[in-house]
Amino acid sequence: MSTLELHDIGKSYNGVTVLEGVNLRVAAGSRTAIVGPSGSGKTTLLRIIAGFEVPDRGQVRLQGKPLADNGVWVPAHQRGIGFVPQDGALFPHFSVAGNIGFGLSGSKREKQHHIDRLMDMVALDRRLANLWPHELSGGQQQRVALARALSQQPKLMLLDEPFSALDTGLRAATRKAVAELLAEAKVASILVTHDQAEALSFADQVAVMRNGHLAQVGQPQELYLRPVDEPTATFLGETLVLSAYLDQGWADCVLGRIAVDDRLRSGQARIMLRPEQIQIGLSPQPAQRQAVVTHIDFAGFVSTLSLLMADSHETVEIKTISREGIRVGSNVSLSILGQAHIFAD
Amino acid sequence: MKLRFTSIALLASSMMLAFSASAASSDQGIVVYNAQHENLVKSWVDGFTKDTGIKVTLRNGGDSELGNQLVQEGNASPADVFLTENSPAMVLVDNAKLFAPLNASTLAQVEPQYRPEHGRWTGIAARSTVFVYNPAKLSEAQLPKSLLDLAKPEWKGRWAASPSGADFQAIVSALLELKGEEATREWLKAMKTNFTAYKGNSTVMKTVNAGQIDSGVIYHYYPFVDGAKTGENSKNVKLHYFKHQDPGAFVSTSGAGVLASSKHPQQAQEFVQWITGKQGQEILRTHNAFEYAVGVGAASNSKLVPLNDLEAPKVEPSKLNSKKVVELMTEAGLL
Amino acid sequence: MSNISINAAPVLPSGSVARRYQQRPGLWMVVSAVLLSLLALLPLGFVIGVAIDTGWQTVKTLVFRPRVGELLLNTLLLVIFTLPTCALLGVALAWLTERTRLQGRRIWSILAIAPLAVPAFVQSYAWISLVPGMHGLGAGVFISVIAYFPFIYLPVSAVLRRLDPGIEDVATSLGKRPLAVFFRVILPQLKLAIWGGSLLIALHLLAEYGLYAMIRFDTFTTAIFDQFQSTFNGPAANMLAGVLVLCCLGLLVVEAASRGRARYARVGSGSARSQNPYPLSPAIGLLCQLLPITLTALASGVPFITLARWLYLGGFAVWDNSDLWPAVRQTLTLAASGAVIITLCAIPMAWLSVRYPARLYRVLEGCNYVTSSLPGIVVALALVTITIHSFRPIYQTEMTLLLAYLLMFMPRALINLRAGIAQAPVELENVARSLGRTPFQALCSTTLRLAAPGAAAGAALVFLAITNELTATLLLAPNGTRTLATGFWALTSEIDYVAAAPYALIMVLLSLPLTWLLYSQSKRTAGL
Repeated sequence: MSTLELHDIGKSYNGVTVLEGVNLRVAAGSRTAIVGPSGSGKTTLLRIIAGFEVPDRGQVRLQGKPLADNGVWVPAHQRGIGFVPQDGALFPHFSVAGNIGFGLSGSKREKQHHIDRLMDMVALDRRLANLWPHELSGGQQQRVALARALSQQPKLMLLDEPFSALDTGLRAATRKAVAELLAEAKVASILVTHDQAEALSFADQVAVMRNGHLAQVGQPQELYLRPVDEPTATFLGETLVLSAYLDQGWADCVLGRIAVDDRLRSGQARIMLRPEQIQIGLSPQPAQRQAVVTHIDFAGFVSTLSLLMADSHETVEIKTISREGIRVGSNVSLSILGQAHIFAD
Repeated sequence: MKLRFTSIALLASSMMLAFSASAASSDQGIVVYNAQHENLVKSWVDGFTKDTGIKVTLRNGGDSELGNQLVQEGNASPADVFLTENSPAMVLVDNAKLFAPLNASTLAQVEPQYRPEHGRWTGIAARSTVFVYNPAKLSEAQLPKSLLDLAKPEWKGRWAASPSGADFQAIVSALLELKGEEATREWLKAMKTNFTAYKGNSTVMKTVNAGQIDSGVIYHYYPFVDGAKTGENSKNVKLHYFKHQDPGAFVSTSGAGVLASSKHPQQAQEFVQWITGKQGQEILRTHNAFEYAVGVGAASNSKLVPLNDLEAPKVEPSKLNSKKVVELMTEAGLL
Repeated sequence: MSNISINAAPVLPSGSVARRYQQRPGLWMVVSAVLLSLLALLPLGFVIGVAIDTGWQTVKTLVFRPRVGELLLNTLLLVIFTLPTCALLGVALAWLTERTRLQGRRIWSILAIAPLAVPAFVQSYAWISLVPGMHGLGAGVFISVIAYFPFIYLPVSAVLRRLDPGIEDVATSLGKRPLAVFFRVILPQLKLAIWGGSLLIALHLLAEYGLYAMIRFDTFTTAIFDQFQSTFNGPAANMLAGVLVLCCLGLLVVEAASRGRARYARVGSGSARSQNPYPLSPAIGLLCQLLPITLTALASGVPFITLARWLYLGGFAVWDNSDLWPAVRQTLTLAASGAVIITLCAIPMAWLSVRYPARLYRVLEGCNYVTSSLPGIVVALALVTITIHSFRPIYQTEMTLLLAYLLMFMPRALINLRAGIAQAPVELENVARSLGRTPFQALCSTTLRLAAPGAAAGAALVFLAITNELTATLLLAPNGTRTLATGFWALTSEIDYVAAAPYALIMVLLSLPLTWLLYSQSKRTAGL
């Protein structure tokens, strides 16, 4: 049984539709990422799940029990869903221990025991327990917020862009730690983010949201390699999108003839290649496509090359790993790994 | 920044100098420290200025406040004339040797019992202590025979006064002079238990009028003054005069003196002469002030009980000691 | 009136700014700031000096007597009953107008602070006219509550408006019911605002004279006044002033100590989401309307109706009063010159504390704040004695009166000026200079322009305070000077309520635009 089921959720504010026809299933113990540009409605969806907003249409079910349905409404404080907002939102007037123990009940000793356990779980030094929130670093605050949400032993955890306030260097490490923590605690979680790298690395299931709809839901690799449309593709990473003519599993485009992943489609279509699928070779290989480098934009690890194709005499821009030998005017050869993906119409 | 600040600072200090200058530049005319009722003194000032053309600037306050202020200011005081409602404040200032002797012609205009022998100040008006009561609350038979009766336990919660005012403190000073320190101390202690304090004699009268308290000890002219206006604060009150030389029949003298440090002694003397003269005392009779006139041959308002009928106790006005009174009242917890 | 606007310095990184300034501030600036702050310590020094002068024996007899105990008890009871009531009403009303969908809440939020336009003694005058029998502790507490509750309403509503709803959401998700969320999460965040407002009210309660004199409730200030009228500035008056000063200092200490180490502002980066007001069911909404309706009727309705009645009874004749218009002129002159001078005097201190934060300047600033907490009567008494004995030339001149106003009201100008200057970091001036302006032009076009609204707000608050000031003016006004407040007071002492009404009306009218300024200012700052 899935932990969370959303059926046909819809919500409007002041006549503006924010969410429409949203369907989602979150399996027990899994991690889902909802990713999309700002203003796409991700946070609203999260707030509907948490119970802070009432959906205009649709149902929300937690472990089979309806939380929001036509006649049913379970208020937020009875849902048992953990919530970690964007910047932690620690209570400024409680110490760390006070924050973590806020939702706990029982004797002082029991509470202290739970607080210690939670602090260990999020790898917080126990000596920090009596500090005030403003005395902690950003990363530590985030961990306190996590521990606080976990104190309720929730069935579902909602995380609203929890890593966006952290320094870049810290982000990846924290992400990994949180993912492991949630896996260990066997808590299903939903992460909302606008950072595609974060979504792809953190989650078992990624949902791309755009203009209030879920454009595509699936496993990270699936979404990355076979996105359903162009905006989704560009959102999830660097792409090269070309117009091509399809015929029996091959596409003719400016790069020449490329294999595609659908033998049945034919006619004009847009196809997609990920940068890692294009290999640039310096030594000319006559069997491969030839091109001349007309412009290099060097950015450290990755460079953007403008290539003039020998066959089609058209210019394409390709991102590739920087190599020292490639200069403006060099003759290079391209080879395509794998198949290009065709967008649905 | 520096330039701008300096220029603004100059502007500000010149403004301040202008202010202090303006205060001093009222060089024509005299400064009168006035503790008497404003409307009465205004009529005097208007008449005087019309007659002589001399400008008068008033500083209004209470008897003791202004008296003590004069003592503190000493010889550098800007005051030329001091007017009071009662005599203790005059005594205070006189004891500090701040008054100049008044012109003989001025003194000749005032009845001798209303001015001290030494002639350094003179009376300008008089008022009688009176027991004001609400006839709905007190019958004639219940009225007290003497001021001292009010210390008795049966008067608890039934009378009011204004102890912070110089008027009442003058009455206490008469009591002190007539009955001595010990008796006064006892009476004040009983007063603290029995009475209700108000601010100002007008308030006392208003409260008696409204029936909120049975009676009060004030001066005679308040009901008359109110009656000449709308009368809404005095319709329901009646006056009871203690008579029989009782301390409660004390007639208080309002005084006037010329400061020895005055920069305009001649104009100051003229002013005191004017208000004790025919025109000044006539104003007492006609201008709804309802205080008693003290000039030789001057008649008081016909509505008032004649002075001679009041059987007031003989009190030498220059013997009244306001300092001691304040001490005793502070001791009793009234101040 | 109030130091409501901003009570804490804008948060500046202490070390880095100071290090960035290698040059020292101008000498004359430091000197003027030090002089003004020392001046501010005059009243305190005076009280201590007089105590020493009078000798311990006399001090003992004058201070440790039943009357003082009576006054102390009255004051204590007044504070104990007024503060919690004001806090309750202020918070409740602020909640209704800021966080619910109460009908007409914008109008109610304006009307809630309308009582600030009515001076406390006019409020008392209105109620005495309505219910002449009002007197004693009950009346004192009642009138104090309706006159002063806006001092808590204003900062609390400002904070409520800016609370981070994210924190409340989290608390809800942790299983707390709405009521528990209010008491455990929202109320603690209001603590500073409530504390600051309560301190302000308590200081006003101690310093107010007219209100309590009219309803015959004896407090320290009324007793000092009585003593003053009897002895000018005899030892008893000064001793009472000393006890009063101790009470005020005690309040300051208690408030500072109870703030605690916890922070009350949002922790974390990012900006707060906008809030979602709570809807009210029609029945509850109607019930909740009772609170603002009652408060407005009592605090604003009664004064305006009473004033209207007295004015109607007086007809046109009272406006023909030959004293009224000179009093208006003198009040306006005093208030305007006071506002300008005091704001100018606040410049060195404000400049130093923003551009050159250092401990010395914080201490100097503290002196100003302490003195402004003292009642006007203490300041006036001190100045009277000092000028009579040592500074004759300015005795009984406008200058002494303005000096008293300076000591009492400088913090209002200081706080606002500081906020204004803080809006203009020095980088802006540097940028202007890099764009070709001379240093002076750069200063004018950036800092002065940006700081101007803050300075104007400070000057406006000082203007308002001077217009309504009664106690110090009664003691210090030069001969022949009569302000609206003292004129009003003289007339009501003679029970001439009808003639006093035009004075009261003009004072209220003068206060209205400045009350509006306070309102719009609080909408923009957190008031903490």
